[in-house]
Amino acid sequence: MRMRYLSVMPAAVAALSLLALSWTPVSAQEKGKNGEKTPYPGAVRPTKAPPPGPPGPVPHMQDGKPDFSGIWNAQRQLPGDPEPEMLPWAAALTKQRTENYSADDPEARCVPGGVPRATPYHVQMVQTPALLLFLFEGNIHTFRQVFLDRKEHLKITEPLWYGDSIGHWEGDTLVVDTIGFNDKFWFDMAGHPHTTQLEVIERYRRRDFGNLDVEVTIKDPGAYTKPWVQHRVATLETDWDVLEYVCNENNQDPGRLVGDKH
Amino acid sequence: MRVRLTNGVIAIGAVLAVLLFTGPPAPGQSGKKEGPAPRAADGKVDLTGVWIVSGSPNLPSDPAYRPEALKLYNERKASGGKGDPEKACLPNGVVRIEALPYKIVQTPKLVVLLSEGNTHSYRRFFLDGRPHNLEIEPNSWNGNSIGHWEGDTLVVDTVGFNDATWLDSTGKPHSEELHVIERYRRPDLGHLAIEYTLEDPQAFSKPYTFSRTLTLVTGRDLHEYFCAMDSFAGK
Repeated sequence: MRMRYLSVMPAAVAALSLLALSWTPVSAQEKGKNGEKTPYPGAVRPTKAPPPGPPGPVPHMQDGKPDFSGIWNAQRQLPGDPEPEMLPWAAALTKQRTENYSADDPEARCVPGGVPRATPYHVQMVQTPALLLFLFEGNIHTFRQVFLDRKEHLKITEPLWYGDSIGHWEGDTLVVDTIGFNDKFWFDMAGHPHTTQLEVIERYRRRDFGNLDVEVTIKDPGAYTKPWVQHRVATLETDWDVLEYVCNENNQDPGRLVGDKH
Repeated sequence: MRVRLTNGVIAIGAVLAVLLFTGPPAPGQSGKKEGPAPRAADGKVDLTGVWIVSGSPNLPSDPAYRPEALKLYNERKASGGKGDPEKACLPNGVVRIEALPYKIVQTPKLVVLLSEGNTHSYRRFFLDGRPHNLEIEPNSWNGNSIGHWEGDTLVVDTVGFNDATWLDSTGKPHSEELHVIERYRRPDLGHLAIEYTLEDPQAFSKPYTFSRTLTLVTGRDLHEYFCAMDSFAGK
């Protein structure tokens, strides 16, 4: 089933090296610098900001709004954010998932990563006055739409992987509000869970040509005692493209399936 | 249409999350289907909208197959469609489409074609004057697409395919030499006409042409749909 095509090899190599980078701390964190065992071995915390993207002025749309269009290295979390304060069930589940080396992570099964999961793959943003489109290389090669011309959320009758996203401008910041999620995806490899009460608020600001600041607020009274804020940055990729990663053809994340019980 | 199996390593699960709503119509989808084609800010015909094929999504006839390709086609037909990549949640490629909505998002230098069904994925047509670049991905499911305007027609040229996709659900094969030219026109508000020219010197003895008409879908955007291989889908 998992045929290998020459075409996906560079993507596989690139993705695997990124995964290798992001995986290193999983085992390394089992024992911290002082030898103590961390409670959540999968809960990788960044220790420093990624290298900055290329400098230059922010491009603008014809309507004067900042233009986020471009190919971005996926959002990476910045250091210094506090740990989320979870309800007991959520803390216990996170601990169980991370101690199990995220073996049950849906993201590794070719289903969507949801919001606001960051992946090691590139994402292309395409902006029009009415729509902000995310074209994902992986985990699955799909898209997310943020509607900029609608002020009200849809009435969701079936919960969604990417929810219903609407955005509005506050100055040069695009504020994206998303509700209507299912409870299936994890926020990260650590396995932080959520419920269908989840609301995600993302604030996107293109700081300069090559750096996109993203503040993510996670509100979910079903799993967290108070809103959880993360600070991230995406950097512009000027010399690469979004590749065609077909998860069902060639799952690039098989390592974590070792512990698969399904 | 799709049954989710909860056991078995070869089980194909499908995730179908349907967004049913009674909210406001999507932009540009006031329900109107008659009138002139809209124009984008740059004066080009604006193909933006949600579209669904009229009639059968399958090809209207068989390409002039060379013997080896014909043999493969006949084997696929005889087996009742065994090995259909679409049933394994693999991409349909460019020529094969579903009887489910597609959405076009048009910008001056990039046109994106989003698909509700199949792999819920996208194609990109680069209109920025770049040539085909097959250096990184010489053979892919959707190929490499560049486009340009000829008057009110968007001409999209695609090469760099793998040979794994079927041209339609009956199993019509093609080789990696497939070259697809699509000519998109929006003759009026409610219709999208696509003329296809398929060249494949390895599989066809001559080029194959056909056309499709898609109609504007009003009152809804693409629904979320994910097709995933394995029992995890419904967890």
